[in-house]
Amino acid sequence: MRTSPPIDCTAARPLLLDYQRGRLTGPLHGEVHAHLDGCAACAREELAERALTEALERRLPQHAAPVGLKRRLAASHLASAGPTVTRPSPWRRAWIPALAAAVLLVVVALPRLAELPGTGRGSEGRVAAEAVNDHLRLLERGVSVASGGIHQVKPWFAGKLDFAPVVDFAGDAEFPLEGGAVEYFLDRKAAAFVYGRRLHHITLFVVRAEGLRWPAAPEAASRRGFNTLTWRQGELGYVLVSDVDAHDLTELAARLGSGGPAGGVQN
Amino acid sequence: MGDGRTSGRAEIAAHALAYADTLYNLARYLTGGAADAEDLVQETYARAFGAADQYTPGTNLKAWLFRILRNAFLSQYRRQRGSPVVGTLDTVDPRMSEAPATEWLRDDLELDRLRKVVAGEIEQALLTLTEEGRSVILLDLEGLSEREIADVMACAVGTVKSRLSRARAALRQRLQDYAH
Repeated sequence: MRTSPPIDCTAARPLLLDYQRGRLTGPLHGEVHAHLDGCAACAREELAERALTEALERRLPQHAAPVGLKRRLAASHLASAGPTVTRPSPWRRAWIPALAAAVLLVVVALPRLAELPGTGRGSEGRVAAEAVNDHLRLLERGVSVASGGIHQVKPWFAGKLDFAPVVDFAGDAEFPLEGGAVEYFLDRKAAAFVYGRRLHHITLFVVRAEGLRWPAAPEAASRRGFNTLTWRQGELGYVLVSDVDAHDLTELAARLGSGGPAGGVQN
Repeated sequence: MGDGRTSGRAEIAAHALAYADTLYNLARYLTGGAADAEDLVQETYARAFGAADQYTPGTNLKAWLFRILRNAFLSQYRRQRGSPVVGTLDTVDPRMSEAPATEWLRDDLELDRLRKVVAGEIEQALLTLTEEGRSVILLDLEGLSEREIADVMACAVGTVKSRLSRARAALRQRLQDYAH
């Protein structure tokens, strides 16, 4: 066992945190303890380490996740979890209902508490609600790439998405393309194209359509003063959102080739 | 094994969302901003759900999520947007590697300053550290063991010890600066 001389300051200092945390075992703990008893400098150092730990634990601000983020996480969680079939253990059988209730509380109750509009019509409603939220976030943050035309914006998405957004409308005098960004849309990434309309902005979100319910034909909706227009083309889902008149969205959707007049989209 | 994967996925499904606050907190200190932190947390959950089969049931889910978050930060944010990192990946801060943390503790008055440091000061001090310095401090605060921190940061336990020691020394030096 240890028969060496008592440890000195050089040996003791690196051990102070372990000493505080109770990670020193056997005679080493006693040696550090004895050293601190006899060394004022190391004793002060140990006190300073304790004071720092206390400051970190008690006074460092802790940032809680915003309610909106939690709501989006819960929504994407439910979407991605799917109808997984498991063989629950007795323990899990006991807890699954409680956990499911907790998730539902986050998804359903929190929006109500925050007086956010309910999702109403399930997945379609969620798509429109998410589009409005993401549109607002994008307006606040600004586009990531300013437009020099569609051939500058589209290549910018390369490597940032797991799909290729099919958008061929390069903008025109009435709907100039202002730029693009990658946004999170529920549980997936979205290509966001921002078009101008007079002094307003219109965001087009393009996402992978799978796992979400999309209207069979372009469908207009309104929530919180914003108009949305949603449709699906192939494997991609499209959502236009803005505070402009619904007719403006219809015009832009026509330029984007949204698939015809159904649902109020006119060519 | 298939059952293990299933139970791992079930464990993630059941518990992962409970760590939203703590993940967001780490993300805030890594990115330095609310919007970027939200993006980073969303990316973390997207990756976690996508890689659920790789999670070993019964291991520390929080540490697993931290590792995903940090990897996402390193691979995405630092490369795309630049980072508030001061030093390099391998050091807390070159200027602070041998921070004379004890010099300002010559008397009890200076120790008293450390005891009275306010929230804003310690937050600012933490944000001046490198990404590794911030990470190791926060992961330690979260109660992760050195072994778990080493897994999160993909380094040896001994490296965690040295990084934590240097990060704390640098933090104390910063707080000393605020006191003057």
